[in-house]
Amino acid sequence: MDGDAMSVCIEIRGLSKVFTTGKRRVVALEGLDMDVADGEFVCLLGPSGCGKTTVLRIVAGLEPATGGSVLVHGKGVSSAGPERGMVFQEFALFPWRTVRRNIEFGLEIRGVPEGKRRAISSDLIDLVGLKGFEDAHPDELSGGMRQRVGIARALANEPTVLLMDEPFGSLDAQTRNLMQKELLRIWSATKKTVLFVTHSVDEAVFLADRIMVMTARPGKIREVIPVPLKRPRDRTSAEFIAVRGTVLAELDEEFEKARAKELSPD
Amino acid sequence: MPGSPAVLAKVKNAVTANWARLVLGLVSVSIFIASWALISVYLSESGSSLSPYVPGPLSVADAFVSSFVDSVPGLADTTMWDMISSSLIRVFWGFLLAMLVALPMGLAMGSFRVLDSMGKPLVEMFRPIPPLAWVPIFLMVFKSFWGPIGIVFLGVFFPILLNVIFGVKNVDQRLVDAARTLGAKRMTVFTKVVMPSIVPYMMTGIKVGLGVGWMCIVAAEMMPIQGGTGVGYYIWLSADYGRYDFTYATMLVIGLLSILTTGVAEMIEKRVSRWMGMR
Repeated sequence: MDGDAMSVCIEIRGLSKVFTTGKRRVVALEGLDMDVADGEFVCLLGPSGCGKTTVLRIVAGLEPATGGSVLVHGKGVSSAGPERGMVFQEFALFPWRTVRRNIEFGLEIRGVPEGKRRAISSDLIDLVGLKGFEDAHPDELSGGMRQRVGIARALANEPTVLLMDEPFGSLDAQTRNLMQKELLRIWSATKKTVLFVTHSVDEAVFLADRIMVMTARPGKIREVIPVPLKRPRDRTSAEFIAVRGTVLAELDEEFEKARAKELSPD
Repeated sequence: MPGSPAVLAKVKNAVTANWARLVLGLVSVSIFIASWALISVYLSESGSSLSPYVPGPLSVADAFVSSFVDSVPGLADTTMWDMISSSLIRVFWGFLLAMLVALPMGLAMGSFRVLDSMGKPLVEMFRPIPPLAWVPIFLMVFKSFWGPIGIVFLGVFFPILLNVIFGVKNVDQRLVDAARTLGAKRMTVFTKVVMPSIVPYMMTGIKVGLGVGWMCIVAAEMMPIQGGTGVGYYIWLSADYGRYDFTYATMLVIGLLSILTTGVAEMIEKRVSRWMGMR
């Protein structure tokens, strides 16, 4: 068994991304390095507009990098693929498909026979707690339930990595807390590597093994902060608040920089 | 529950409002029919030359009923049913052909920029021309059956084409991204994301197209040609025979059929969107 806990899942070196629209050239990412170990839960945290989502989209293969390299299990990323599952902030469920058929989408296009598809989707429906809603359409579900579908749909392909782009960003506070707990439960049941983008310090400290704080644009990793707290974590504990304080201090400095830049461009 | 009396009052208000609307509607229709009857009687009593053009509501109703039961004046062995069926058959063919051409064309133009740039000038050149402008040429070239079908084709074609192009260009990019991360390649994205996404747009095109198509058929059939058929043709023929009561009865038929076709289109649209989970 290769129980090496430190084997690298995602390896990013010197990543850069430049967006060009007409004559405007925006350097979104510059010289970004990061590693995510197998089975690790990493949160990517940063001020808005710092390119967190861009990093995720490049790893997903939805966006080409301008420079640098992205390796997932040693293989270069060239296009999107089912081994890197993605969960979107706006859920991005297919509105014309039921819960079950949304979850089975990836299996369907891979040609998995119907019986097997059904078995897999039933297991996932149990796992994410959607029993009884198999035949509902997304518009009949609440935000939290929609994202459960989004997670199950990404898991159906048995990806090695789960990329999550502010998946709970559009949920209300209570649902958000509940979904964070649910995600940790699903994560420990499936042992996936998770790269999770958020701008909430609280969310990052609650979820992550390590938090990578990004700099303001052009984005790179400013600081990697390990979160050595046991799960389930208590948001009101002194240790939690201490880690939160450290992360917040880092982030605040970047936020100020971003604001200063906005006030005096170039 | 402090809210419930207010809710009840609201429901009650809505019900009363509906009844009031119905009553007011009936009042205005009754006033219209009564004035029509009065004018008709006045014109015939005063021996006005306009009198033949304004038959009373009763004689129009009579013509309406008899046109379905007996053969209509001017045409032996022909009832209103025959007129309706020949018009509907033409609309059906025109619609089907327009759909078969507009759908693939719209998909192609919406998907490929090159085709869009090539097709757009042509579309914008022909679209502003009213389909009816083609009537004389179409009737001479395609004759009395296919000529009107060609007119319906033109009327239905553009609404469907433009809506399909619009639908393809408005496909939710997030859904495309989601499909790609789930392993979909270009072709799969097209069949499993783009195609279902455009259905509501296509249905809008069909609804508009059917309305336009029905307008076109009536006008296209009105040309006085040999061996003519259809409701439009009979509008012209009955007037030529001086049977204005039948002219009005045919107008009534056309109006009712128009309500029927849009009703059917709306029903299909609702069914499809419910079936697709998009209410």
